[in-house]
Amino acid sequence: MSGAPAIRVEHRFSVSPERVFDAWLDPVWIGRFIFGAHLRDEQVVSLENDPRVGGAFHYKVTRGGIEIDHTGTYREIERPRRLVFTWGVDAEQGDLSVVTISFAPDGDGCLLTLTHKLHPDWAEYAERTQAGWTKIVGDLAGAL
Amino acid sequence: MLALADPTRRAILQRLGSGEARVTELAAPFAMSLNAVSKHIRVLERAELVSRRRAGREHFLSLNPKPLDEAAAWIDEQRRFWTQSLDALERALAEHED
Repeated sequence: MSGAPAIRVEHRFSVSPERVFDAWLDPVWIGRFIFGAHLRDEQVVSLENDPRVGGAFHYKVTRGGIEIDHTGTYREIERPRRLVFTWGVDAEQGDLSVVTISFAPDGDGCLLTLTHKLHPDWAEYAERTQAGWTKIVGDLAGAL
Repeated sequence: MLALADPTRRAILQRLGSGEARVTELAAPFAMSLNAVSKHIRVLERAELVSRRRAGREHFLSLNPKPLDEAAAWIDEQRRFWTQSLDALERALAEHED
């Protein structure tokens, strides 16, 4: 139960790990499945990335007239097995959370597992404070 | 979130986890002036992690659980966001047989 509050989602795809992996680093594909007016009430301003370890991405959209820059830095790029990047909204929160995606071969397809963890400061904070607060984190961990 | 980046502020929150306290009680374990501790407390108050109750001349500080509700909201929002993205990725892969 230790560790930062995190979510974990899985999805099986009927195509190769390479095809699923490549979608995550290609701005054209980012505009197909992560951001866009066809997904929610938003307009894409620009989708830019520098897909190398240490490189950054900026995915800018407007929602209700407000521009939001989803930004982060690539930490690990191991095609087609593993991708790790930080994720936040606007520059100062860019390292607030970390997304880790694994791509495992599964028959003729691929099993994707995505975890998204808040900054470890949150975990340390939650573990050391009162039971009610710790319970919330426990509920979150239990939901994984 | 930046309010949590400092070890003194995390220690203050840890102390408040066992119940409300006066500023002087919070300052006692630290080798720093009351004024310096007060600055840390103000950062925590601005971040709405800590609330202040006045009783006569005494000021009592306690934890404010609201930000953790916000953490729970963050979790819900992110889960929805990525689930939606993965569903959209499956559709896009079917539409674009590159």
